[in-house]
Amino acid sequence: MMREALGVVELLVFPGFLFLSWLALYFEWVDRKFYAKLQYRYGPLYTGPKGFLQPFADFVKLLAKEDIVPAAVDRFLFTLTPILMLALAFYALFYVPIVPMVRNVAFGAFEGDLILVIFVLTMVGFLKFLAGWGSTNRFSAVGAVRTAFQLLGYEIPLAVVLLTAGMGAGTLNISLIAQKVASNGILASALLPALAISIVCFQAELERIPFDIPEAEQEIVAGWLTEFSGRRLALFRFATDLELTLAAALTAALFLGGPYGPAIPLIPVQVSYFLWFMFKTTVIVMVLANIRALFARLRIDQMVHFSWRHLLIAAVAEAIFIQVLLAAGVIA
Amino acid sequence: MSGESEKAVFEVPVGPQHPALKEPILLLFKIEGDIIDDVMARPAYTHRGIEKATEARNYIQNIYLCERVCGICSGIHTLVYTQGVERLAGVEPPPRAKYIRVIFLELERIHSHALWLGVAAHELGFDTLFYYVWRDRELVMDLLELVTGNRVNYAMSTVGGARRDISDEAAHQIKKGMEIFRRRLDVYTGVVEKDPTVRKRVVDVGKLSPHKAVELCAVGPTLRATGVKRDVRADDPYQAYDEIPFNVATYPTGDVLAQIMVRVMEMYEAANIIDYALDHMPKGPIRTKVPWNIAPNEVISRGEAPRGELFYYFKSNGTEKPERVKIRTPTLANLPAVCEMLKGYHIAEIPIVFASIDPCLSCTGRFAFIDERHDRSWVWTGEQLRAYRRRYYKWQNR
Repeated sequence: MMREALGVVELLVFPGFLFLSWLALYFEWVDRKFYAKLQYRYGPLYTGPKGFLQPFADFVKLLAKEDIVPAAVDRFLFTLTPILMLALAFYALFYVPIVPMVRNVAFGAFEGDLILVIFVLTMVGFLKFLAGWGSTNRFSAVGAVRTAFQLLGYEIPLAVVLLTAGMGAGTLNISLIAQKVASNGILASALLPALAISIVCFQAELERIPFDIPEAEQEIVAGWLTEFSGRRLALFRFATDLELTLAAALTAALFLGGPYGPAIPLIPVQVSYFLWFMFKTTVIVMVLANIRALFARLRIDQMVHFSWRHLLIAAVAEAIFIQVLLAAGVIA
Repeated sequence: MSGESEKAVFEVPVGPQHPALKEPILLLFKIEGDIIDDVMARPAYTHRGIEKATEARNYIQNIYLCERVCGICSGIHTLVYTQGVERLAGVEPPPRAKYIRVIFLELERIHSHALWLGVAAHELGFDTLFYYVWRDRELVMDLLELVTGNRVNYAMSTVGGARRDISDEAAHQIKKGMEIFRRRLDVYTGVVEKDPTVRKRVVDVGKLSPHKAVELCAVGPTLRATGVKRDVRADDPYQAYDEIPFNVATYPTGDVLAQIMVRVMEMYEAANIIDYALDHMPKGPIRTKVPWNIAPNEVISRGEAPRGELFYYFKSNGTEKPERVKIRTPTLANLPAVCEMLKGYHIAEIPIVFASIDPCLSCTGRFAFIDERHDRSWVWTGEQLRAYRRRYYKWQNR
């Protein structure tokens, strides 16, 4: 009985919906604030201490704004895509270890959930394409096609490096991979190149500079997002924040051991999970923000070229490297 | 897929409202796949009637009007206007005034090019460079404010000379500022020349051949970026430019990188000109008297604005008001060239290629009727315009 009650709390409050929502807004704040600091700006400033509540205020404001549905759009897709994208991003987060409470693994963990999360990541990219395509706007259509092209570019290298972590750990359960990586220093160091590749791929998945091609403001207004406003836009933005959370949590889990780490003395293990998780993911979000501040935007053909010519080869080389280490018995 | 023979051309309108454009213009693109097939530009969404308004004001009042033709190149507009009126009246400004004018014109060139460099970085999606450049542009803006009291409309040049002197203290400040600015500029030159993502977007993009550029009457940095050495400051020296040694910056490649490099080199060059002018400024008065009424005469006045050659035509009729003032701004001259530059490149390159001419569209609107089918063109008189206005509002309030 107690266990079930705890399960409900884990699903809804911590680390469930409520905590995940807070986490998504927190990461948006970290991203915006750090990005602004790198550019000699202040970033969010007035709402809450150091603008901490600004993402939340933006979300509420957008919810209250007029929600325009243009006459020519595909109403079904136009309504379905924001909701489905939000739902999928939430769904995938339950398979990634954040702060394990009851079972010492992620809430929905099972053998093979890594495949499921990779599938969800692809689905999210595909939903962006559908959202743009259903908008029947010229800018949206161009943005949608660019999203699809970009998906072709980053998806395969991303899947290869994520599965490489699974190969190294000998399991496809994200939580077990994280535990293994946290306790095996050799595996963790061997996976560092994979960490770098996955960060680049996630930058493309999240459509951020230099890969913000599908929503390049100066070229195609807001790309696939152009026609969305009000509630639908709020949901999309929130889903994007959750996607950022998913990217940070997944990268942290697969390559840095996620919430698992050396026990911190004098505090309960759950609190140490929380601290390790927040530390690792915040650093990853800051790295992502740093990349955003460093580059100019690529062109779509340059991006696909870069992915297939460099990213994919690096990802496959990393997979072979891990296999060789496994065969040689270096990774126990 | 209906085969290769059928061209899938679709139209993409960019503007009059579009995030890439800071001012209204309509660029109607014919796109084939992702490649620009053809482009039609329609400026003049902001017709302000300034040329007409000059005819109703006297020569002194018109200074304030011409200063406001453009927000960024307000200095050169005032200068070319006052220079023209001085030629009409046959007076020569004192030598010190000429040097003061050159100094604030070059400060203006630096702040305009720095603004453009920021905008270009923004169009490339490189917002970090944009914020950095604009932060250092403030240095020049502060110097302008120190010397003239204003950040945008300096009101430094007047008919017969300059309105404010540059004190030794201010000269010292300017020199110090230029020293800092040069150091910052070194950093940005390095970024533009070496950053791989920037290079990927600007090298061999928006190419224009020198032959085509001359044929389409391109002016200013757009022309010089194709390697053609043409600059009003050197070719037809005005003010103190014939006494100041400087190089005309050119770059041979004719792509967007060349446009950036030409403007960066011009910023260095402008800093050198300012230093030289401050060192060699003659002592003496800064203003002479000019008569109110100017005898019938016709002159032209030219100057090198940050965007290219600025051209004014004047006709006086013996009264205190001009009979006609005609303004040709550099952006208008560069529009045919930029339409040519855009052809054959990707949609993704529209913002940066269009921005590469440093478009300043609010000075570009003119009013004329052209009937393409009957090959006729005509203009309206003020009375016809007023009649149209009456009809239009009657129709609106019907």
